[in-house]
Amino acid sequence: MEQGYKVILGVIGSDCHVVGNRILDRALSDAGIKVVNLGVMVSQEEFVTAAVGEGADAILVSSIYGHGEIDCAGMRERCEERGAGDIVLYAGGNLVIGKKDWKEVEALFLDMGYDRVFRPSVNLAEMIAGLRRDIDLRRVPQLGHNSAAFDTGAPFLDAR
Amino acid sequence: MTPEIANTRLSDDAFAAERRGVLQSWPTGAAVDFGAGVARQQSLPESKRFSAALAQAHAEGRTLLQPRAGVALLREHTALMNGLSPHCDLLPTTVDAYTRLNRYEDAQTGIDRSRAVGTSLLNGFPAVNHGVDGCATLVDAVDKPIQVRHGTPDARLLAEITLSAGFSSYEGGGISYNIPYAKTVPLQDSIRHWQYCDRLVGRYEEHGIRINREPFGPLTGTLVPPFVSHVVAIVEGLLALEQGVRCLTLGYGQAGNMVQDIAAMRSLRKLAHHYFQDAGYDDYALSTVFHQWMGGFPEDEAQATAVICLGALAARQARVTKIIVKTPHEASGVPTLEANIAGLRATRQMVNMIADQARPDSADIAEEAEIIEAEVHAVMRRIYRLGRGDVAQGIVLAFEQGVMDVPFAPAQANAGSLIPVRDNRGAVRIFDPGNVPLPKDVLAFHRDKIGERAASEGREASFDMVVDDVRAISASKLIGRPAA
Repeated sequence: MEQGYKVILGVIGSDCHVVGNRILDRALSDAGIKVVNLGVMVSQEEFVTAAVGEGADAILVSSIYGHGEIDCAGMRERCEERGAGDIVLYAGGNLVIGKKDWKEVEALFLDMGYDRVFRPSVNLAEMIAGLRRDIDLRRVPQLGHNSAAFDTGAPFLDAR
Repeated sequence: MTPEIANTRLSDDAFAAERRGVLQSWPTGAAVDFGAGVARQQSLPESKRFSAALAQAHAEGRTLLQPRAGVALLREHTALMNGLSPHCDLLPTTVDAYTRLNRYEDAQTGIDRSRAVGTSLLNGFPAVNHGVDGCATLVDAVDKPIQVRHGTPDARLLAEITLSAGFSSYEGGGISYNIPYAKTVPLQDSIRHWQYCDRLVGRYEEHGIRINREPFGPLTGTLVPPFVSHVVAIVEGLLALEQGVRCLTLGYGQAGNMVQDIAAMRSLRKLAHHYFQDAGYDDYALSTVFHQWMGGFPEDEAQATAVICLGALAARQARVTKIIVKTPHEASGVPTLEANIAGLRATRQMVNMIADQARPDSADIAEEAEIIEAEVHAVMRRIYRLGRGDVAQGIVLAFEQGVMDVPFAPAQANAGSLIPVRDNRGAVRIFDPGNVPLPKDVLAFHRDKIGERAASEGREASFDMVVDDVRAISASKLIGRPAA
């Protein structure tokens, strides 16, 4: 059986820009990925709580209003604290204030622990294909066995 | 359930009781005194009165220019205003994001840190924290009418302070400053808070002081069909008139297709007069404002200037009273004074060159105006029916049921089921009306127009087309065509 893909999507901080969020939601859903969309003005805590609660494969963070650098820092550490340290973490948008060299911005966010960083001009089909690959790479290999077949229904006596 | 709101004038007692709470919500509120505010407004010269500038421009058929700008500190903000003043007709004061959320403590931190580092760390002017005295110092130091521009669902204290200090125009409204700006604020709460702001303006009016009110026209600035923003403008106009406002500027954000933009401005004036007079108002001054492109901009400054000029052209062809001007730095964040001046100069050149040319008219424009009018009438009819004649109740229920629906809005109060897309000439059409009760023939018109584009591009109309449209202008086109 093919495993599904589930992602947490949202715009971080006090940012109310929702256009890109709606487009991402639609594009991801159309590509068969289950989207839990937290919408705009989402805190790091809300992202991580949703990811843990939903058992999501990835967190996709957007920021447009310029405070992304402040809002996004520490997200990976927060995921680790909650036992979701190896979750796929993406950031995208206009992430810093003013015109800045993209290579610098990308390096800054990779250094914060984000797996990939995107500009608003990203090709969505390529982004989604990459997202599936990144999620697959993190998954424990499922080599055709079905662990449920080994369940005899007997209680684990030694656990008492 | 019937919303606990009604389009009736707030009683003096209710207003006075509410006012005490508003003025106590932050220490600078204590300095507000209505009598002193009236005296202060009376002392302003005619050259600083927004309503007078609009009336004169309307009478002379001129188009006024206004930029957007605001920084954290009084001295820097005053310098910014005086730098802009020679290049524009009306001054703004854009308020920072913390003040818009009533987070005055955070705004104070922003002011203190800005002072420490010597540069603005806020994206606007925190007028509540600067208080009546600070705002009055600003009004005294500039030579043009000055307006508060923001995005605040609860802007009661901001209104008390800035109007008392001599600002003569106030942007916003209970719908237009909620649906595009907030996530969880109930619509009836923001409408109620804006009834207070309108009543305050009404009280000034009753004391002989005409304050201009401007509902925020462009909403989300992203593929907004003209009828959607027109309905919001008309409803906010009706709500303001009921509270005693008598000087209204209704707005619209450039959609990009010239025919549709001209038709939109023409129909906005006509429809507003229709609904205002139908509701029994005949003693108001109505002017219009056109917002240059509010969506994503090209990063290249020359290309961005072209976007600005297209807006100037459409606005002047549509004979609007005022243009809100963009800057060539739009794609990269808060613009500098120089970028703002560049936008104003490009717009002025364009407006001057078109000013005396014949007003264009065509069957296309007339047809487009017909469509917009049919759409607005259909939605307004349903709003009145839902509210049993009360437009405040009606609009709350209309949003609840998706009868009114703003594309790409963050508010949970908005259904988000209406999906717009451009047609083969770049006009904004309805791809999916969601729950909006548009007439069958109007929907067929939209379907045909979208069909033309689908055929010409050799692809089915789909959400991909919408996505391509949203991103088109930053990629130097109006319509998001597939790559050849």
